[in-house]
Amino acid sequence: MLGRIRQLLDNRGYFKIMRDFMRAVGGLSGLAAWVAWERYYLALMARAAAECGALCGSPPTDFAYLLQCIAERHGVLDPESCRVRIKRPRARYPTIFKDYFATLEWLLSRACELATRPPREVLPEEEARAAYHAFLSQEWYCAVRRSMYAGAGVPLWGRVLLIGAGTAEPVDYWHACRRLGAECRYAAMEVDERALEDLRRLAARYGFEVLHGWEEAERAGPFDGAIAQNVLHWATDPLDVLMRARRVARRLLLSQIVIEGAGAGFLVAYVLGARRSVSWREVESLARQAGWRLKRRYAKYPNYVAVFE
Amino acid sequence: MEAALTCPACGSPVRAALPAEALEEARRRGVARAVVACPRGHAIVVTLDASGAVRSAVAAAAALAPSGRGRECEVTPRAPEWVRQRLQAIVERGPATDADELLLERAREAGWVVCA
Repeated sequence: MLGRIRQLLDNRGYFKIMRDFMRAVGGLSGLAAWVAWERYYLALMARAAAECGALCGSPPTDFAYLLQCIAERHGVLDPESCRVRIKRPRARYPTIFKDYFATLEWLLSRACELATRPPREVLPEEEARAAYHAFLSQEWYCAVRRSMYAGAGVPLWGRVLLIGAGTAEPVDYWHACRRLGAECRYAAMEVDERALEDLRRLAARYGFEVLHGWEEAERAGPFDGAIAQNVLHWATDPLDVLMRARRVARRLLLSQIVIEGAGAGFLVAYVLGARRSVSWREVESLARQAGWRLKRRYAKYPNYVAVFE
Repeated sequence: MEAALTCPACGSPVRAALPAEALEEARRRGVARAVVACPRGHAIVVTLDASGAVRSAVAAAAALAPSGRGRECEVTPRAPEWVRQRLQAIVERGPATDADELLLERAREAGWVVCA
């Protein structure tokens, strides 16, 4: 109980910035149902991995290790006895998460394989790319991004740089601009060549600039603001990302999934190719090292959300 | 002559000039088809009647796929269950959003969708 109160206090700003999203999920009760179902799937995955001997002791893969850490933190796995506690939630999860839980269902069906073999043996590169695109364009994820950008008022900042934009983020940013009735001036920066091709096509429709890597971003800068949304766990050097962002932008909306409070969804990111897990303290510390000053922190975990100047 | 319609893919209002050849063909044969583009780039196949009025408008991918005259696509068993339903809808009705369009491309590269 105390833990839940603390979690609410630590993340109270999240409900303000995510007003639209919270409405879409039916408020706190909807969010609570989502949390309960996430924990349920986490427990099922832990049981599947434990049954094929990949959990407890020394986990054979990073997936098994992450699964064990997360399951222990959520109290669904007893590390001593390696017993998994499973409780099926009674409340239904909000409809917007239908695709999300279908993804977890798939992850569950591959949990034993993923716990014993490298992820690219289970999900080859081309399929991981397709799965990444499908996951990032799920309805709930689009709602999260749109709500966050509008809730933080980013389109009102002026010209904005989307760092490691991918193909879903620029479209969602455009929707956030429309939500606020703001002029939409933004650039999408990517390093992935194939994502760049897609971005160039989208740019013609949505009217944003496409920048290939930091050198082009530095030439196109300065920007009034930047967004780094779930970028750091993909980056080879997260500090470098934040330092370069500091060079080209006056403000930064930093949103990052972190290991504290992370659920089964965190494992999806890992399977799709994320390089690392970070903690909220690490994220904040990296931002400060990069020269950013914390203006407002909305949430600590499992999604760290803050605005820096 | 200009046609006013709603894009079946994204819902944007579309005002497009109809090609003179299509209008002439419609007048002559009683029916004709033409392709127009919506402001967000979706190709729309419109069917015109003898007077040049638009009788139907379908997204190009949807118009081509089921008829077999264009690319016929199929979702393969390799596609994971969680994406299959969405891919099936895209293949049958055409991409409704930009994300769908990109997903279809990625899915083809991954062997989740094959097109003739």
